[in-house]
Amino acid sequence: MKIAEIKDPVAVETETVETPRSTAGRSDPSMIVPITLFYVLMIFAVIRSPSLVSASGIGSAVIVATPLILATYALMASVISGRGTVDLSIGPLIGFINVTLVQLVTAGYFTNPFAFFGLAFLLGAAYQLIFALIVVYVRVQPIIVSLSGFLALSGINLVILPRPGGMAPEWMATWGLGTTVFSPVFWLLVIATLAWVLFTRTAFYTHLRLMGSDERAAYTSGVPIAIVRIGAHIISGLFAALAAITFTALISSGDPSQGTTYTLIAVTALVLGGASLAGGRASVFGCALGALNLYLITFVLATFNFGAVQSFVTDLAYGTILVISLLLTLVLPLIQRYARNFSPLLYFVALGVVVLGVVLHATHDYGAVSDAYVVPPFPGPLDVVGTMRGIFETGALDPQTEALRTAARPLIWGVVILVLLAGLARVAVTEGKTRDVGPLVFLVIGLIVLVTAYSISQSDGFSFGIGSDAPHEEGKP
Amino acid sequence: MSQTGANPQQLSLATRLLGLIAGGILTLLSVIFGFVQDQPVQSIILYALATMALFFWAWKFILPHFLVEREHAEDTHGPGPFRRIWIDYRPSLIGLALIVLAFFILAASIDGFLNGWNVLSLIILLAIIVATRTIGPLFETNRSAFIGIMVLIGLFSVGAMNIEGFSSGWNIKSMLLFASFLGLASVGQTLVALLGGLDLSIPFVIGAANVGLLYLISLGVPPWLAFCIVLTIGALLGVINGLLSYRLQGQALIVTLGTGFAISGGVQIITSIGTAYGGNVFGTVPGWLSNLAAMNGKTFGIPVPAAIFIWALTALILVVGLRVTVYGRYLYALGVNRISAKRVMISELKYWVMAYTVSGFFSALTGALLLGWSGGGFIGVGEQYLFLTLAAVVVGGTSLLGGHGGYGFTVIGVLVLQVLSSFLVGIGLDYEWQQFIYGLLILPMVALYARSPHIRTQI
Repeated sequence: MKIAEIKDPVAVETETVETPRSTAGRSDPSMIVPITLFYVLMIFAVIRSPSLVSASGIGSAVIVATPLILATYALMASVISGRGTVDLSIGPLIGFINVTLVQLVTAGYFTNPFAFFGLAFLLGAAYQLIFALIVVYVRVQPIIVSLSGFLALSGINLVILPRPGGMAPEWMATWGLGTTVFSPVFWLLVIATLAWVLFTRTAFYTHLRLMGSDERAAYTSGVPIAIVRIGAHIISGLFAALAAITFTALISSGDPSQGTTYTLIAVTALVLGGASLAGGRASVFGCALGALNLYLITFVLATFNFGAVQSFVTDLAYGTILVISLLLTLVLPLIQRYARNFSPLLYFVALGVVVLGVVLHATHDYGAVSDAYVVPPFPGPLDVVGTMRGIFETGALDPQTEALRTAARPLIWGVVILVLLAGLARVAVTEGKTRDVGPLVFLVIGLIVLVTAYSISQSDGFSFGIGSDAPHEEGKP
Repeated sequence: MSQTGANPQQLSLATRLLGLIAGGILTLLSVIFGFVQDQPVQSIILYALATMALFFWAWKFILPHFLVEREHAEDTHGPGPFRRIWIDYRPSLIGLALIVLAFFILAASIDGFLNGWNVLSLIILLAIIVATRTIGPLFETNRSAFIGIMVLIGLFSVGAMNIEGFSSGWNIKSMLLFASFLGLASVGQTLVALLGGLDLSIPFVIGAANVGLLYLISLGVPPWLAFCIVLTIGALLGVINGLLSYRLQGQALIVTLGTGFAISGGVQIITSIGTAYGGNVFGTVPGWLSNLAAMNGKTFGIPVPAAIFIWALTALILVVGLRVTVYGRYLYALGVNRISAKRVMISELKYWVMAYTVSGFFSALTGALLLGWSGGGFIGVGEQYLFLTLAAVVVGGTSLLGGHGGYGFTVIGVLVLQVLSSFLVGIGLDYEWQQFIYGLLILPMVALYARSPHIRTQI
């Protein structure tokens, strides 16, 4: 363990620059990436397919995304506990609970909702209890225990239910329809999130984070680390049970092989949400956003017609976005230097207003576009040109909106320039004193002002907006 | 096996004389047996010499470990010998009793369970456990290798007794062939694990190389050129992996998973543009490639596929290279403590990227060989290697924290996994049961030698 401690200087650095616990929620730059990504994807999704923001659209999104979010919560509970506990077996565990319940229900047992929930919780907690006991008392690395659990559970899942099938209980039949937003699955998600938020208020959670950040420090300051670790795992098991129940509601049957994908997606969502796989740092808000981002990526890609290579494009996008967002966490300390008072909540709200505008535009300006948009026959050869046509918008605007848009263009560009200027001025103030960067910043600002003045003097409006044909002539005074 | 153990003491004169006499008697016995069995004289001489050499080697190198331990043990005066054995080996003794109990319960409840073979299997199992608990700790640094070899011998002998055709040449050849695929795929994982990282992109690169090679061949690129191109691209992907994960070392697991997804998605997009069948590539595999890896392949006239030789050569180079060369020693130095390694001017970035490059190269090689074996491209061909390479490294005894282990250990791990899977297939278990048993077996095997110390010892 000593070796592992020394070996990870990057993690140590990021850990030390982190703000104290009490203000962790308020000034946490690790939230910049998931929030930005969420809104960018949201804009894409809404413009590509405005039907997302209808009752049934959101309803089905909730149904599909909830098992994902809950699986991420389950993973989060054990990841916080440190020692590199990335529970790879979380997906097979969800599959295990799913197939066991479905087989029992099909055979006529546990059809009562209370018994159903109770058994799910029992299975999840029992598995994670064994996991924790092995980690604590046999002292094998958690990653190996989880690997072992992954193999064992994915094997036993296929034994219990060799191929997808079976029946969810009758009272669950309507859960997976997704016609309204406020389905039982939605309330489960809300309750689970609230439960997690309440959990973060307890002393137990503080102990858990302390243990995840520095187990030795936790031990020497009297935290009962064995009990805390076991508790974290049992909580993880309970969330896994909830994820399994919502997963059962989603597919209303049993599926033994879906587990692997859930593991990979949950780990990805966790990282996208700004959690540290080394332990000690994770937030419920970030994890939910990370899982939602993954759902939105799939959703946005599904609106393009990639023909037979659809799933490959999804893989490519998953992988690329995952790597890029990981690389972005490297520049976090840099961002933190400039954005000391960064507030995730404010950022969330500010971007939310922008996206609300886009949503209104997408749903109201086009009228009947979503009907006119025909999805081409699915398994066909890849049509590159067809795919690239209209990457943002699937329909044409009516003339009135078009005119409005042209009128609003100078205003928009003005705002953009102002924001840019404000940002650069901020940089100039903070960095102006250092000898090497200062002149460059002033040079850039000066250039931008000159270019702006030049373009205003050259044309009556702004000529380098989207869609206008005027040539670009900045840089030639 | 254990030259690097607690420094072997010089044997006393009496012990050496005793060894000489024992060796002489043993050799004499083997000569007498040879004449009784009417063997040709040449082979009697050969076997007698081999027996004598082996015995003397064992006497000289293995005995000192026992002697050191025994002298040490005699110093402590305390409870009686039986009491001390009970205190020292309490968990193992309880485990033994449980196994014997389970055996009797099985024998009582299942008809025909109590036959000679099963009893013999039980005795072998018990012997392995006893040997690992009693002799195992004496091999200080290479304990996991010792346990691995014991398990391997046990599994193989049990398999050979219970399953018809288990020890036939054909079965051994097929086991070795599959082991060489897994072994080549685990090369990179071992090196990366020695540095304290993980590479989960291996299965995706394998699948991508498998599909990509066939795609290039079907485009009309000469097969040997396509082979080289695929290996180069594999190494390049490794470089990218290494550079990306260098600054994100704590999250190497997830970075490589991400690049893996991207690679497999990207290659599939490239290979399926213009075709209506996504993900499938059709083409003919050149004869020499099938000869390299198929079961009926020949190497210079010997009816053994070349893949096995490639693996053996790679293993030899790596084992020797990690031990002897500067590169190998620096790799360990970085794995044990990278800060002090940096202080002596070892470039961490260079070795990190190098390990991942080797990983990418060997993944691509495995993918290409698998194409020769199966004769058709399939992106999912590497899927099982996602966790099997990790399992091979871990079962062999290379620490995932870095700095301890080596490719020799991984070879043992690969062989154990392969013999185990053959054994499970042999006794008629399905794939899902195999996976279940794999999962359950990794844990006790690691628990035998890779337990981390208690937190109170680390303050």
